[in-house]
Amino acid sequence: MAGRSYIEVSAPYANFMLNPAKPERGVCRVCHSSAGEGYADCAKCSFQPNHLDAVVPVTYSIGGEQMHRALRNYKDGATPRIRQQIAYDLAAVLWRFLVSHERCVASTAGVSGFQIVTTVPSGSTARDDGRVNLRRIAGEVCGATRDRFERLLVPTDTGTDTRDYDPNRYRAVRQLSGENVLLIDDTWTTGHSAQSAAYALKQARAGAVALVVIGRHVNREWDDTDQLLKKLSGPFDWDDCVVHVE
Amino acid sequence: MIELREKAALVSMLRHGGVRWGDVADRVEDAGSAVMALQSLHEQAELTLLNQEPPDLEAVLGPVVGEIAAWRQEGMQLITVLDPAYPENLLTVHDRPPLLFVRGRLDPGDARSVAIVGTRSASPRGLRQAGDAARRFAEAGFVVASGLAAGVDTAAHRGALAAGGRTIGVIGTGLRRSYPKQNADLQRELGERSAVISQFWPDQPPGRHTFPMRNAIMSGLALATLVVEASHTSGARMQARIALEHGRPVLFLRSMLEHEWARGYAERPGVHVVDDVDDAVDRLERLYTFDVAMTA
Repeated sequence: MAGRSYIEVSAPYANFMLNPAKPERGVCRVCHSSAGEGYADCAKCSFQPNHLDAVVPVTYSIGGEQMHRALRNYKDGATPRIRQQIAYDLAAVLWRFLVSHERCVASTAGVSGFQIVTTVPSGSTARDDGRVNLRRIAGEVCGATRDRFERLLVPTDTGTDTRDYDPNRYRAVRQLSGENVLLIDDTWTTGHSAQSAAYALKQARAGAVALVVIGRHVNREWDDTDQLLKKLSGPFDWDDCVVHVE
Repeated sequence: MIELREKAALVSMLRHGGVRWGDVADRVEDAGSAVMALQSLHEQAELTLLNQEPPDLEAVLGPVVGEIAAWRQEGMQLITVLDPAYPENLLTVHDRPPLLFVRGRLDPGDARSVAIVGTRSASPRGLRQAGDAARRFAEAGFVVASGLAAGVDTAAHRGALAAGGRTIGVIGTGLRRSYPKQNADLQRELGERSAVISQFWPDQPPGRHTFPMRNAIMSGLALATLVVEASHTSGARMQARIALEHGRPVLFLRSMLEHEWARGYAERPGVHVVDDVDDAVDRLERLYTFDVAMTA
């Protein structure tokens, strides 16, 4: 049977994806969650350095709702079939998004493009070696990234707490010479892993480092979030992104 | 015995209150054990109500273990999200119930299933379409899920049975009840030959909220939902909406396009208008192919 196109595979996801809020009052300038009344950045982003030249979430992932479920199941689903099926879907979502919006991401990061694509590792080597599906998505299935993919980052296993930003959490496996790196992750919750990863890439002499993350995790029970979500409405627009340039 | 304690802990959690039903499944999966999830729930309560002693776990679980045994005597099994028997498709939807009551037997092959839904007051044509579709899906090796309601549901179950197929009833009441009463015999037959599933306590009567909840389970259980004949007020429309929110394909028989709501839905991603069951089966085979390289 002939393969399906990324357009066809990704299509049903529009039924539960939600374009994140663009930069404006009350929206965190870094991660696009709600910043809280009178603040420019959310609490997490205010208290950690920002090493990323662009942070571009594809969709909100609302706690307990379907996108959240998919982002969990593609790596931790109970059966191989569940993991394979949802990883395939998410690769299509990423592919479709990047075909339309990689140039918006590059433009925001102030560069003309990215020579290397890599993924944010898990917090420890044991977890990272076992969790292959994000690398499979970016390195094998997604046609927009696989030819540029390289496993550049590995955990150092030195930290004790993986819940905060840690400049020593990851290291690059080789030195770069100013190449721009497109970093891919599945979920942004606090941003600490993505920021730790970006730091390691900059230490290895990367040029610009921009993050495309599939889901910006938010929770309706958080202050201001429900208000923010209520202002946004579907259906999901594949032709728009938080840093869209015509 | 460990398994029984797990089931008992989940029943206790659901009765404990204070935790949203959908969160219970998440908590149990996160902890990897209902007993551990229940313990941390007790510890939380202890923190909130400072002087409250944590209840003795064995004292809580003991009586529930007895209840579960009595349910089993009555032919009702409890399946939790951590049980290998929990339906695979249902695990992937956000609103999966943490606990299912099952009369009969679930089968891993139930993953290859289609839900057939439609109106309770079906026309002769709608009844014929539902019965034919169920029969031909059964012949193609699919399990047919439906809601054991009057009209389209009944025709779908009977069509699948007539073809010797497996057909699952997903009901909007507890397992001790039947709605409508006329379907009590059919419900018994499904329980003996395949399975009847309920997410409600055994004596739960039908209610306004129970049928939409049932539709979510049916959508989650099946690879796709086929809508046969349904007006805009039908519960079948509700299931179509829920299925799309699950990312599951919705199949409309072409005759559904007589309804204005269905013409609107047909424009949405994930909705497929099909000419017949052969067409539907072809599409499902295609939609569930993951081992072939994706194309640009």
